[in-house]
This record gives sequence, C-alpha cells and structure tokens, in this order.
Amino acid sequence: MAGLTLRNVGKRYGALSIIQGLNLGIHDGEFLVLVGPSGCGKSTLLRMIAGLEDISEGTISIGGKVVNDLPASKRELSMVFQSYALYPHMSVRKNLAFGLQNFKVSRSEVERRVAEAARILQIEQLMDRKPRQLSGGQKQRVAIGRSIVREPQLFLFDEPLSNLDAELRVQMRAELASLYARLGTTMIYVTHDQVEAMTMASRIVVLRGGKIEQLGTPQDLYTRPQNLFVAGFIGSPKINMLQAKATREAGRTVVSVAGMPDFAIAELPTGDQALTLCVRPSSLRVGSGDVTGEGTIRLVEYLGSETLLHIALSSGQVLLVSDNGRTSYRMGDPVTIGFDLPDLHYFDSTGQRIEPIQKESQAQ
Amino acid sequence: MKTSATDLELAIQMDEAARVAHELRLKRDRQERNGRILKHIFLIIVSCVMLYPLFWLLASSFKPENEIFGSLTLWPSEFQFENYTKGWYALPMSFTVFYVNSAIVTGLSVIGNLVSCSFAAYAFARLNFTGRSFFFALMMMTLMIPYHVVLIPQYVQFLNLGWVDTYLPLVVPRFLASDAFFIFLMVQFFRQLPRELDEAAMIDGCSPFKIYWAIILPLSLPAMGTAAIFSLIWVWEDFLAPLIYLNDIKSYTVPLALRLFLDQEGQSAYGQMFAMSVLSLVPVVIFFVLFQKLIVRGIATSGMK
Amino acid sequence: MKRFFARNAPAYVFLLPWLIGFFLLALGPILASLYLSFTRYDMVSAPRWIGWGNYEYMFTRDRRFWKALEVTFTYVALAVPARLIMALGVAMLLDKGLRTIGLYRAIFYLPSLLGASIAIAILWRQLFAADGVVNQVLAMVGIQGASWITDPDTSLYTLVVLAMWQFGSPMLIFLAGLRGIPRDLYEAAEIDGTPRWRQFTRITLPLLAPVIFFNLVLQTIDSFKTFSSAFIISNGTGAPADSLLFYTVYLFNEAFKFFRMGYASALAWFLLVIIATFTAIAFFTSKYWVHYENERD
Repeated sequence: MAGLTLRNVGKRYGALSIIQGLNLGIHDGEFLVLVGPSGCGKSTLLRMIAGLEDISEGTISIGGKVVNDLPASKRELSMVFQSYALYPHMSVRKNLAFGLQNFKVSRSEVERRVAEAARILQIEQLMDRKPRQLSGGQKQRVAIGRSIVREPQLFLFDEPLSNLDAELRVQMRAELASLYARLGTTMIYVTHDQVEAMTMASRIVVLRGGKIEQLGTPQDLYTRPQNLFVAGFIGSPKINMLQAKATREAGRTVVSVAGMPDFAIAELPTGDQALTLCVRPSSLRVGSGDVTGEGTIRLVEYLGSETLLHIALSSGQVLLVSDNGRTSYRMGDPVTIGFDLPDLHYFDSTGQRIEPIQKESQAQ
Repeated sequence: MKTSATDLELAIQMDEAARVAHELRLKRDRQERNGRILKHIFLIIVSCVMLYPLFWLLASSFKPENEIFGSLTLWPSEFQFENYTKGWYALPMSFTVFYVNSAIVTGLSVIGNLVSCSFAAYAFARLNFTGRSFFFALMMMTLMIPYHVVLIPQYVQFLNLGWVDTYLPLVVPRFLASDAFFIFLMVQFFRQLPRELDEAAMIDGCSPFKIYWAIILPLSLPAMGTAAIFSLIWVWEDFLAPLIYLNDIKSYTVPLALRLFLDQEGQSAYGQMFAMSVLSLVPVVIFFVLFQKLIVRGIATSGMK
Repeated sequence: MKRFFARNAPAYVFLLPWLIGFFLLALGPILASLYLSFTRYDMVSAPRWIGWGNYEYMFTRDRRFWKALEVTFTYVALAVPARLIMALGVAMLLDKGLRTIGLYRAIFYLPSLLGASIAIAILWRQLFAADGVVNQVLAMVGIQGASWITDPDTSLYTLVVLAMWQFGSPMLIFLAGLRGIPRDLYEAAEIDGTPRWRQFTRITLPLLAPVIFFNLVLQTIDSFKTFSSAFIISNGTGAPADSLLFYTVYLFNEAFKFFRMGYASALAWFLLVIIATFTAIAFFTSKYWVHYENERD
C-alpha cells in the first residue's frame, strides 16, 4: 500500500495542453475518485499515474518514490480498463496468472493467489472459459480478479462499470465498495458518473479542463461546493441556479431575485454585486420556508419515492422541486414555493463560492 | 364507442390492401427466384469458360501426343501417365531436384517474410516512436517501386558478394522485410486489435517483445496465415529473380525448369511439358483450396493484390 | 535524453530488419541506379560517366524504346479497363440476391493466383497457337482464326485476354466495396420505382467511385510491371516483330542479355517516373479511399 503525490503535473500533446500544474496528495489506503465531464483529463491523469502516458511536466511519486521514468510494470500497481482488456486467447485462469508469471512469482504462490481471487469474486466455475464465453458482469469480475492477484500497492480503475447495464452497475458498485473495505489498498477510480463517485469515494477530485475544481469528501462537495461548476456537477436532480443581486445595507445584505421577494441575509464579504444563488431541488418546498414566492406548476414527474415539480416563477424562471409529500399536483396549479436561508449557496460573478460573514445571526 | 359503417369499410379496405400486398410480394418473390436462376446459369457458364483452360491443361497432360492438338474434348482416349513419369526425368536433372530447390527457397522465404514483416508491422502499428510516420510513409512508397528499378544495382551488389548462383539473393531480402506488402497487410490487422490489450500487458509486466510474442502474434494468426499463404504462392511462382540469379541447372527452381521445356521446343514433348506444368500448379491449388477463406479475407482487409 | 532512448529503442529494434533492407535493397539501389543511368557500364570495366547520353539516346534515337512504350501503354490501356469491367460486372452479379457465392468467388479468383506462373504462360501459348484451342472453337462456328501468337497484329491481344482472365483480385475488392453500400439505399430507390440502370448510375457508381479509383490505380501500376507472361510468350525477346516488347522485357534484355547496365538503368528510372506519377495521383487522392481506425483521442 502506498500514498501518492502529484507535484505540478502537466500533460501536453504538442501545443494542446490536457493537464496543467496539477498538485494532489492521495493518502495511503484512500479510495479517491476522479470525476468530471468527458475531456476533462481524468483518464489521461490516471494513465499517467499508470505509466501508460508520458508525464510532460512535474513529478508523480508513489510511496515517496518518484516514478516518472519507471515503466508501468515497475510501478507495483494494477489497472482495470473500461473495456476490461482481457486477453481473448487465454482462459480466465491464464488471464489471472499471466501477470504473476511475468513477475516470476513461484508456481504454488500463483495457484494460491488465483484460487483466492476466484473465491473472492465467485468466478471459480468460470476458470476454464475464454473471455468471449463470459457475460459483461463476468468479464468485469475477471478483470478485477486479474488486478487483485497482483497484490499491488495501488489499484487504478478507468470507468470500469460504464459498459454494464444499470442493474449490474449498482451490484458491482457495492461489490467494489466491499472489496475496498476488505483490502484497504489505495484505489484511484475514474468515472464520469457522479453517483459512483459519491457512493464509493473517501474523497473526490472534480476535474475540468485539466484543472482541479474541488477536492473533498462527498459531503464536502455536496454541502459546500466551492464553485458553480461543482455545484452544478454534483447532485441529481441538478441544482437550481438563480441570477440575483446583492445590495449592502447597514450590516446586512439584501438579496433580490426576480420572481421572489427580496430577503436579507448576513453581510456578504463582497458588497454590492450580481451573484448566482443556488438551491438544491430537495431544499425547495411547496407551501412554506424562510422565503416564499408564487409560481405555477409546469410539469409533474412522478418517480415513486419523490415527485419532481417544474415550477415557473412569475419571472418565467423554472425551478426544479423535489417533493416527497403525498399531495397530488396537477399541471397549471398555482403553488407557493419556499426555501430556508441556510440551504442557499452564493457564488460571485467569477463563479466562486462566497459565505455570509456571520452565519449564526441570520436565522430570525 | 360507436361501431359504424366507416369502421367496417376501413376493415375491408385494410384486408384488400393486405391481399394486394401479399400478391405483390409473391410476384416479387417469383421474379427474384427467376432472376436468381438466370444469374446462376450465367455464372456457371462464366465459371466453365474460366476453368476450361485449366481443365484443358490437366486433360492434355494425360493425352497421347497426337491427341493434344486438334481436339477440344477433355477426356483422353487413353490415359497416358507416361507424360508424368517421363516428364519428371525429361530434363538433364530430374524434377526431384527442382522441387527440392523450390521448397528450400520457398520455405526460407516464407519464414523470412513472416518474421521480418511482423516485426516491422508491430513497430508501426503498436509502438510509439520518434519518426514513425516518416518511416511508415517511406515503407508505403517502397510498395510501388518496380522490382526492375532496383534489380541492376542489387545484381551488381550480390555479384560482388559472390552470392550469384546461390539462394542467398532470393532468401536474404525476405529476412529484411523487402516485401512491404506483407508489412502493410499486418499493420492493417494489428491496428484492429484493442490498444488496451497492450496496456494491460504492460501493467502485467510484459516487455515490448513479450507483448509481441504473447499477445499480438497469437491474436493475429489469421493475418499471419494469410501472409504465409500469399508469400508461399508468390515465391513458388517467382520467375524473374531466379532467372537472374540462378545459372546452374542444379540450383534451378521449378519455374526455371519449366522454361527449359520451351527451349527444347520442336522435340514435341508437349504432353510432358503439360504434365510438369500441372504438377507445378498443384501446391498452389492445394493451398488455395485449403486456405481460400484466409486469402479472400486478406485481400478484403488489405485492399490489394 | 535517456528517456528518449528508452522510449524509442524497442521500436527500432523491431524495425531493424526492415531498416537494413530499406537502405540496402531499396534506397541504395535506387540511388545507385540513378548514378548508373548516367554511365556506360558493361559489368566488365568500371562505369564510365557519359552525362545525359543514355537519356538522349533513349528519347531521340532508340526506336525500340518507343516501341516498348507503345506496346506497354497499349497493353495497359486495354487490359486495365477490360479487367476492371469484368471484375465489377461479376462482383455486382455476386453481390445481390445470391445466397451462396463462395464457390463462384473461389473459381473466379483462382486464375489470379495462378496467372503469374510460368505454367499458365506456357498454357497460353498453346491455347492461342495456330492449331490451338481458341482456333478450334472458332472453327466450330466457321471462323478461320489467326495465328494469334505469331502474328504481330494480334499477339498483344492474347496477353490482354490473359489479363482479363485474372480479374479475381479487383473483383474481391469490388465485392468488399459493394458490401459497404447500405442496403436501405436500394430499398428506398426500389420504393421510389427507380429503374435498375438508374440505381446503378445514381447509387452504385458514385458510392463505389473510391474503390473503382483505387483498383484503377493499383491495376495500372501492376500492369506496367507485367513481365513473366510476356517474357515466356514472346520467347524472351519481345517477338514477333517486337509486338510483345513490354518495357520490362526490353529492360531485362538490355541489362542481362546485352549487359548495357547503364542504359538499362536509365530505362529503369524512366519506368520509376511513370509509376511514381500514377502513385502520386493515388497518394494525393488517398483521403477519399483510405481510412484508418487508429490513434486514441
């Protein structure tokens, strides 16, 4: 097991810069998820850690040792690929043993580890099949098995669940989480699926355009997104964003939003300015709240455990409200919509998070 | 709900439409079947015309000398196996020598082609290196260079090395990947294999050579088979290079030996010449019949030859 | 620097045989051939520089050179279209409506594999001989056939027929191309009532154009290189009356019969220029017909 340090890491293809000056410390035994939209550089970063891509700038060290010039095979890590990359001409058993044989592990040890992995992943009955005779989920297990027999310091996962159907994905997600609980090895996991990120990670790195937008625990990211991008990226259904205007007034700030009454909050550090107000659909309520406004229901999406309401304010802006009440709503109904002040997130015109100065004094 | 006359009418109309559609389909099926039969007849005729010369050659090789010309029939009045037994020894050396020579040259050449071309193809298709696209472009250019252009300097070169009248000028170039067509064929195939396999193997501790040997080659057996068969057939049939480099009849390959029959023309040994011609085609035809699928797929993937 | 070496070394090890071959068997000889083309060289005494002498003689005084060009270009102009039309026609017959085409495909391809062999050239001489099979067939319908091989007016056509007979490989490429045309285009045309001929000119031909062009270039280059069959059928000389004096046959004789290596080198270089021209056309238009599935994002 080992921690990992990335110092000023950059990646360029000719003039094209994929990753710029990235600093990141990964703790020993951590489950770190790299998440971001496609093209954000997350896979490239993982491949640089794996040794499959050159590092243009900076250093990557694993367990305190700089590995920039070490080939992939010498980095004591293993990787699970999106396409699984099982060797098509080898049986499952050979797929598992192939790497160990290359590393000159003794035959009895190879057998022991392969049997152990097969038992953990419940693929014992598949050992003599070829990969093309396996289902997607089985291939996935074999791919994971191939990486655990190596007993590496570090596991890398490159969107391992994205080729599975929804049901299997949920199942494998749970299995991966329990595998992590059992092995406790450092894992780095790339995904574009925020649910995977939220459910499995010790910490999450949100990447965009080759830069870290935010690093933190799933709770951090959900409750205190550091910028508009993270606020919009994490959370489903997507957070509501409202254009607002802040005016400073004797020790407090008055916020005005079109379609809602003005309301006062503790002083914002930046003074008078335009800002973006974010509120999660689950924080909006029909009927009550610290601040309430009038709207009309435009669309009702009944999901069983909750109902998603699309509610248009008088300004025309549509807010998404997640309602778990029993009330039945109809399109066109006028409703009162409200939120509580502590549930609001404020972002300045550059998209960075701002906090009211005295949080405790705002509740009335 | 109202069940009315319009509903009923609609139902009748739909029924009628279905009937017409069914009839049209029957008619089209009938037309298509007739078309298919016509096509088959035509194709069978073309096939016969295509194959007639080959069968004529085969038949003539069994015919008595006076029956070869002046008759179109493919059935000899009596089978003259003598053409084969005599033909085999008709030249100053027996055909055993020529076949052994051809087999040596062909065998070594095929091995050389497979090894050297798959090496180069692996580098071009799977490894990243400085100058890759430059050398790849050069390789593609060598595809079009006519052999006649390099022939004279090569001949001088080999003459100075003392290689003329040995098999070295025929075999050594093949160990140096001189036939770029096979590199191209293999590159096309190697490129289709998923890149992640190499990467997984790298992480599994494989050197580039181990990846080539344990991953790429076993997965490329069809391409290697195609290359092997093409190279076998072409080397077997090769005429120009042996013509230039082999002077001593003891080292002649089969095509050179066949040409000797022509030089003896007038001695009317047509039956024997045809018999030996048939024999020279036998290995090619056998390989074609056995590996027809590989050959067809090879042409489709490479888009050449 | 060390990293540069580490990254490139394995690839160059794999490339080494080809690299050696490229320099010793391709680039070196081509340059040597260029040099020799400006010399007089008989393999006995050392090459003697004569400047443009060979080329001057070739273009201004050597009538056999012009004859060879005429024969070769005539052959290319006849054989290539004949072979391609044959190939396309049969490919289209095989492409649609037939369930089992494997056997036909094999039969039609076989001559392409055998065609280059000496045995077939020998066979061809007999088929078109004065008392050969062709004339007997003609006699059955009451036509007095010519002595095809020995008559300078007809000898070239025997080779054109041989070329036609070997339409197999362009046929296979056409078949692959036809398979690539989406079926629903034809179904849409069928529903619109488009007649077959218009389906051919409006759908098949345009969509197949890249493949046709590819085949055209490939077969043209290949035809310029024709040697063995012409050599055998003309007894190695280009006879009768130089009517089978293919460029390659002429070159071969100049080099290896008369040992005019310098002059033969000039001939070789001119052949290279001709073929390079056709290849260049193919190369600069390659984006229309070559597509590589490669290079990750």
